[in-house]
Amino acid sequence: MAKTYDYLFKLLLIGDSGVGKTSILFRFSEDAFNISFISTIGIDFKIRTIDLDGKKVKLQIWDTAGQERFRTITTAYYRGSMGIMLVYDVTNEKSFENIKNWIRNIEENASADVEKMILGNKCDLDSKRQVSKERGEQLAVEYQIKFIETSAKDSVNVENAFYTLARDIKAKMEKKQEASNPPGARGGTHQLKATDQQRKPTSWLSRCSIL
Amino acid sequence: MNFQSKANKYVCPNDRQLSLRAKLRTGWSAARSEPPLTSAEREAIADVVKRAEKVEETEARRIGRLVARLEGMRRSAQGPTPRSCVLCGETSRLLAPLRVCFMCRNSACPKCIIETPPHKQYMCNLCAETREMWKKSGAWFFKSLPKYVLPERKTKYNDTEFSRSLQEAGNSSNEGKSDSEPSSPLSLHPPMFSRQPSSTDSRRSVSISQDAHCDGETENLTHGVSGLSLHRTDSFSQRSFGLKRTGSKGSAYSLRSTRKDPPKPTQVERPPVIPDAGFGTLEIRLAYENGTSSLAVCVLRARGLIGMDMTGLSDPFCRLEVLPTEGTYSNRLRTKTVHKTKNPEFNETLHFFGITESDLNTKSLEIVVFDDDRYGCDEMGSATVALRECSKSPAQLRLALAGPSGTEPSGPRLLLALCYNTKRRALAVTVCRAAELPPQDSNGYSDPFVKIHLDPDPYHKKHKTSIKWRNLNPIWNEGFFFETRLTELSRQNLTLTVWDKDYGKPNDFLGSLVLGSSSKGRRLKHWMDCIKFPDHRHEQWHSLTDTQHI
Repeated sequence: MAKTYDYLFKLLLIGDSGVGKTSILFRFSEDAFNISFISTIGIDFKIRTIDLDGKKVKLQIWDTAGQERFRTITTAYYRGSMGIMLVYDVTNEKSFENIKNWIRNIEENASADVEKMILGNKCDLDSKRQVSKERGEQLAVEYQIKFIETSAKDSVNVENAFYTLARDIKAKMEKKQEASNPPGARGGTHQLKATDQQRKPTSWLSRCSIL
Repeated sequence: MNFQSKANKYVCPNDRQLSLRAKLRTGWSAARSEPPLTSAEREAIADVVKRAEKVEETEARRIGRLVARLEGMRRSAQGPTPRSCVLCGETSRLLAPLRVCFMCRNSACPKCIIETPPHKQYMCNLCAETREMWKKSGAWFFKSLPKYVLPERKTKYNDTEFSRSLQEAGNSSNEGKSDSEPSSPLSLHPPMFSRQPSSTDSRRSVSISQDAHCDGETENLTHGVSGLSLHRTDSFSQRSFGLKRTGSKGSAYSLRSTRKDPPKPTQVERPPVIPDAGFGTLEIRLAYENGTSSLAVCVLRARGLIGMDMTGLSDPFCRLEVLPTEGTYSNRLRTKTVHKTKNPEFNETLHFFGITESDLNTKSLEIVVFDDDRYGCDEMGSATVALRECSKSPAQLRLALAGPSGTEPSGPRLLLALCYNTKRRALAVTVCRAAELPPQDSNGYSDPFVKIHLDPDPYHKKHKTSIKWRNLNPIWNEGFFFETRLTELSRQNLTLTVWDKDYGKPNDFLGSLVLGSSSKGRRLKHWMDCIKFPDHRHEQWHSLTDTQHI
């Protein structure tokens, strides 16, 4: 019997070619770094099981090719993912500007309630930096997404980023379950009636489509 | 655009103009930007996909275990009564008063109810477990239960055809058995829960011990399955369709067991004759005739196909096609349908004409087994065989069928969400959206709306969505309620028809969809999920059929 786990979260890394998606994943899954650049072919995934508040969470992290020519393959994996990391390279202005396009890409292809996060990778290369941390933060505020600067080479914030995203997904899951409950009703018959009456005016039609 | 006005339009435009046009992303010059994948790349991607499938499989099995556990719990529950516990049937006592679960409004004794932390509400173990399952399976995100495989109960596996078919009989019979014996070890477990709110750890240990228990049980069951199975099948087929909470199990099982058998210890010792992915096998005979340059394919029989309908049987037929096709000319042939069987004898010879000898080396024959259904055909498995096989002396082949490729339907389709609301005693049907509807108006669009009714419905209620003008991919998100009992649902059919609104002439029909316990495949699974897990929203895409059923 395989090792059991409580939850399976599917994550996805997207961003321009060469920003270090594979390196981030390699650092997170194997805690290693490879200086040479090997372009990802289409898609790949790695698995790591982490512990969140006493629950075993298996993360299946999909690494996508940034190259345009694999776009049809990679977009097919958007829909199934619960969390998406948008990666840009702080030494590459263009990759930062493209984040907006990637977000649009997500909106078109991924589920509406996917958890997102922006990573500014290669923050160890301060001398070559083209995108300041403030600009990254500003973009994140604009889109209401969490932002973190990472370095796969020096292992800065990589673990942190994945744990944060996983924790956000888990929190969303708990919240969703709470939301699917009927409101009120603490037991006791007289209270029950009161809540029943309260609930009637709220249109169950609209509630159903939100659920 | 005034590209042409500057130059002679019979001369090929220069490079600059071509690149300008390519930027517009229209016209033929845009298409060459993406070179096709090389074979090495394709292989690498296929490798990853294969790896992902393996992960998916363990996940499906894990979810299957969760589902089985919940199912066992449901079976062993006493049922809602006003003065006793819904789970264990315990009546109210001074030190152990019954409390009301805020989810299902049933009362339960303190042993079977937990206090949930945020609002100090009481939730019975059944609701708690359902919710846990919803979280653990990922259904909270995907809005319906993902694919799952229920745990296998027996491990007997034999070589000969006879014992194999026997085993299949055992498949359904085993289900019959577990239905009629509520005291199976699986269902004994739930009362063992500790009721503290902080029971996460104990819960996990229970689930682990249960797994161990399951394995132990399979060991015990290995003997005696065959003896049991023969007479059991009869009783199973005689069983009426009046499924209540448990009756649905048999069908659901036969559906879900489609994926792959979990690795069995006995299999390692003695591999079966041909590798079988759990979708059955197909026997064909190929013969090529030089004189008429025709290929005769004799489809002999299939064995061990997956079950698609309530009784676990299917109505299979095969569609054959020689690939790659030349031009637009497609030569698809199909066999006759063999009804109500998982082991059909086709014995039918189909002839492909115009196959040259050089084709034999390059082309291949694709055979897809479909389940015949009035409301659209579901793929049950497929196999591909290279045509050069027919040059070998005994051209009779046994092929292992691979599973259906695409999980999501394509073409005209409808996203539908079902949720049985136990408090309202009504089925909530949400018509979310449709996609790729056929255009019916001269402007290249349709003005679609959906009519919905439940059949038979004592209230004779019919609903209509609003009309989405000039839209082939409309989004409605409109919900409707049908008052019905949960037990009635298994006898009712939900019919949805999509229409194109026209003024001054009859509305055009765009497509239809029927869900019910008499439907098959995806539609049956959706319906059964809705019955088995009330108060949860089940969302699924369905393809629309173009035939009108009234």
